[in-house]
Amino acid sequence: MLKATLRSFLAHKGRLLLSALAVILSVAFVAGSLIFSDTVARTFDRLFASTSADVTVNPTKGLDERVSSGVTRTVPASLTARIAGVDGVAATHVDVAVENITVVDRSNDSVGPTTGAPTIATNWYVTERSPVKLASGHAPHGPGEALLDKDTADKKHVRIGDPLTVLAQPGSFKVEVVGIATFTTTNPGAALVFLDTPTAQTRLLGKPDVATAISVDAAAGVSDEELKQRVTAAVGGSYEIKTAAQQAKSAADELGGFLDVIKYVMLGFAGVATLVGIFLIVNTFSMLIAQRTRELGLLRALGADRRQVRRSVLLEALLLGLVGSTLGLGAGIGLAAGLMALMGTFGMKLSTAEMVIGWGTPVAAYAVGVGVTFVAAYLPARRAARVSPMAALADAEVSGIGRPLKVRAVVGTVLTVAGAAALTGCATSTKTATSSSLLGLGVVLTLIATVVAGPLLVRPVIRVLGAAFPRLYGPVGRMSQRNALRNPRRTGATASALMVGIALVAGLSVASASMTKSFDQQIDKTLGADFVVQNGNFQPFPQEITDKVRAVKGTETVVRQRFAPLRLTLPDGRTPQTTASGYDPQLDDVAHITYAAGGSAEALAPGNLAMDRDYARDHRVRLGDTLPVTFSTGGRARLRVAALTDMDTSGGFGVEGGVFMGLATVERYLPGGQDAAVYVNAGGGTSADELRASLEKALDPYPQVQVRNQADYKKLIRDQIAVMLYLVYALLGLAIVIAVLGVVNTLALSVVERTREIGLLRAIGLSRVQLRRMIRLESVVIAVFGALLGLVLGMVWGVGIQQVLALQGLKAFAVPWSTVIAVAVGAAAVGLVAALLPALRASRMNVLAAIAHE
Amino acid sequence: MSTPAAATAETEGVAARARALTKAYGTGETAVLALDSVDVDIARGRFTAVMGPSGSGKSTLMHCLAGLDSVSAGQVWLGGTEITGLKERELTRLRRDRIGFMFQAFNLLPTLTAAENITLPMDIAGRKPDREWLEQVIDTLGLRDRLGHRPAQLSGGQQQRVACARALASRPELIFADEPTGNLDSRAGAEVLTFLREAVDRLGQTVVMVTHDPVAAGRADLVLFLADGRIVDEMPRPTAEAVLDRLRLFSGGPGTDAATAEDGAPDYDPLRKG
Repeated sequence: MLKATLRSFLAHKGRLLLSALAVILSVAFVAGSLIFSDTVARTFDRLFASTSADVTVNPTKGLDERVSSGVTRTVPASLTARIAGVDGVAATHVDVAVENITVVDRSNDSVGPTTGAPTIATNWYVTERSPVKLASGHAPHGPGEALLDKDTADKKHVRIGDPLTVLAQPGSFKVEVVGIATFTTTNPGAALVFLDTPTAQTRLLGKPDVATAISVDAAAGVSDEELKQRVTAAVGGSYEIKTAAQQAKSAADELGGFLDVIKYVMLGFAGVATLVGIFLIVNTFSMLIAQRTRELGLLRALGADRRQVRRSVLLEALLLGLVGSTLGLGAGIGLAAGLMALMGTFGMKLSTAEMVIGWGTPVAAYAVGVGVTFVAAYLPARRAARVSPMAALADAEVSGIGRPLKVRAVVGTVLTVAGAAALTGCATSTKTATSSSLLGLGVVLTLIATVVAGPLLVRPVIRVLGAAFPRLYGPVGRMSQRNALRNPRRTGATASALMVGIALVAGLSVASASMTKSFDQQIDKTLGADFVVQNGNFQPFPQEITDKVRAVKGTETVVRQRFAPLRLTLPDGRTPQTTASGYDPQLDDVAHITYAAGGSAEALAPGNLAMDRDYARDHRVRLGDTLPVTFSTGGRARLRVAALTDMDTSGGFGVEGGVFMGLATVERYLPGGQDAAVYVNAGGGTSADELRASLEKALDPYPQVQVRNQADYKKLIRDQIAVMLYLVYALLGLAIVIAVLGVVNTLALSVVERTREIGLLRAIGLSRVQLRRMIRLESVVIAVFGALLGLVLGMVWGVGIQQVLALQGLKAFAVPWSTVIAVAVGAAAVGLVAALLPALRASRMNVLAAIAHE
Repeated sequence: MSTPAAATAETEGVAARARALTKAYGTGETAVLALDSVDVDIARGRFTAVMGPSGSGKSTLMHCLAGLDSVSAGQVWLGGTEITGLKERELTRLRRDRIGFMFQAFNLLPTLTAAENITLPMDIAGRKPDREWLEQVIDTLGLRDRLGHRPAQLSGGQQQRVACARALASRPELIFADEPTGNLDSRAGAEVLTFLREAVDRLGQTVVMVTHDPVAAGRADLVLFLADGRIVDEMPRPTAEAVLDRLRLFSGGPGTDAATAEDGAPDYDPLRKG
């Protein structure tokens, strides 16, 4: 029996190739993402471990700022004196490191990375832990000198002697590059500018006697933990004091957020590849078994019992899984290397020689590869076991064609009803949490329902889809339509692979189109300013820029916006962390805010705040209540709810509650913040165009901010949503590649099964061109069928997602018709592509061999 | 017609002709001669049967005459057209428009109804069938009440009748039937032979049939006997008994070294291929 299984596996290796490809793809993504994130994690763990001081004294940790307030937190530099006196301290260093600065060259272009990685200005001192060393020039001395890291210098063509301008919070200042520093460790992709310590303190932090942290070196024989305790005892508990290990871990964790995104994206790809791959594998095994019905019947007639037949099929799946996983693991290593190279172009230099393949990677790879194949082959294997010994003798063409679809009808209906109920529940629910979990349930149920019921839909849908074929293409069209209808299970399963991918994309496209439309509407409704000056990433910018804006001739109103990350204490006991905005008092001139109670005057008055009416009601907040508020750097206040707004944007995206207050209030409790946006209105006879020109001219030295009118602002938001869409399209691409493999698989098998039929057709005069067209049309109709199911399903999901978004205030609904049409047309193209090889093979078939076929 | 007058005159009364037709499989020392310089004329309006032991080249002869297979040497004409040297595309068109086919099994497309199967060659060509003729063929073959059925709903005999109707429907110059009764029981087989006979007698068609069955051959106007790739004998106005006797003679007779004992009982050999 084992020998028979192995022979059969080898005999069908061509057929299994496409299934193996699906396994390889999913395993490659799983393995690639694990290897990549392990390698990156290891690299940065090492980097931070080697660069962290034995003990670091940091400012107390406030709230995590999901949206930056622009405040740089400091400790008094005088602490060094106190720490130096502690027993066991070998040395102390003042650290000054500011992350959100901009450095521009002679032509006012930023020298920072274009990837969103920060430009970091820091003080220069050399210890054995320094991540950089001086490569050329000399160390900076005095206010006018700086070092630049070599990667940045090379990329931006900066040389020793070149002038740079550092745009820091206290004010911009000019420096000359006096030296170039190279990384001795992995460059994490940031640009580094080094100043001497006094310059860094005064120019970056605005005060000569502060630091962002203090590094402490332990004397020989003193452990980090011991030293930490002694330092803590000396300076008191109002600082965050960490050992090297703790410091490295929190630094790595901070970077981890970004790396997690890459990991999850990759795992998303793996998920799609796996999901679509399952269909392909199920289909391949079903077809192999259908083809081998007589062979299996013979085995049974010769005395093999059901279990042996089932085991034989599962063993074949196991072999496929093992081979696929092994190749996939190899492909995953390649993928990880490719990703590392890609990160290299973004400035993050990772060495492929240090690639980390943890034990978890092969385990996960084989678990996914073998598991998926095994699960996918299980149903076909059971079906194989049910083949009766009589099948060896009967002249049945292919089993499975005529089997009734009753079970599928029942299961499909039940699942559809359950799924529809879940989606209806999602649409009617008013709680985001309930609504989104119902959405998830509904999506899963309707997906399974469509897969199960797919074969039932084949006949009615393809009758309609292919209705024009006989008229357009005569008998060739008629035969291809009938061929597609011939085995509804096979057609359904083949189309399912395409359906899953397209449904996913259609759903997310509807969601993103709806989001875009909602944001557009909100911007139209609320934004009243002629221009918004801000950073494309919503990063805060120095006061200097606001001053420049104010000084521009023709500006009438200038309203600043600052972000204030804070924690609310609500009457219902919840203490959510959110981000409030602070505005200047003339808010009404630049924004249209609808109030349910109170107005801008009350909302922006000192000691007051405004919040969304629905949010207030949900948390039992009443107008006039006083709420305890903790700001991100620790400032505490009791603020009065003086106004309630009636806007659509009540929450989501880290700003739940729609809380805002006067900028003066923010400044009082969260001092040292920076402006995140400046809203500007033209006045005094200056036209908007003129104002824009003068604003852009005045802001030319500040490449970190841009001037945007309403249309530009909408575009900015749209572009950010579009990033998500590109990801979706990439997922679609992958799903389609695998689905195409599935269609090729099915068609190739159909061609083999219909050898005699094709021979007959050729003998009685069907030309090669006509034969190829027949196969192409069949392929197209299957692909379009899959796309249609996917689009309908995806749009239903899209409506569900939109309902959830509506609870977050994004109430508009939009269907991206251009995408829908493109997908439908694309599906037809996919069909054509998939038919290429099978059609060629069919048309090359030797007529004589085909008709002589037993 | 672009055919020279001389050739036309020469082919008067001949539906297909082969001269020095040679077909070899393989090359060099391993080459096998399936047809060894065969000369044959298929008379128009006649029912010709081709018989011979397995490997005698009878199927190859048919395939070469029908333009399904290429020849190694020699010439083949269909009517006035020399088909040796025609391109694949021209051969396809020739088969579609001028030749009808019946095979032993798998004659019909399972997805098409009987009516659709019958008109398929014309549909492929994009030609309208001659209604009157079509009705006559359908009635002759007694398929009137089976037209809407799929092949799976028809018996083997009915399927062969549909195949026969398809072969006749476009009123081809020549119908090739490759073991048309091979898969049928004797009654259904006799029925199909009657229809082929009628196609010749009443409808004026030309039929070439490859067969193992002396009874089937007995219904033809002329039987050609092949052995080792040559035509070794022919028998006008045959009967089943005469054919059987001739075959017996074959198995013992001179010049038939490849023939074996099984030739005496050709219809009992299930492994025999056309």
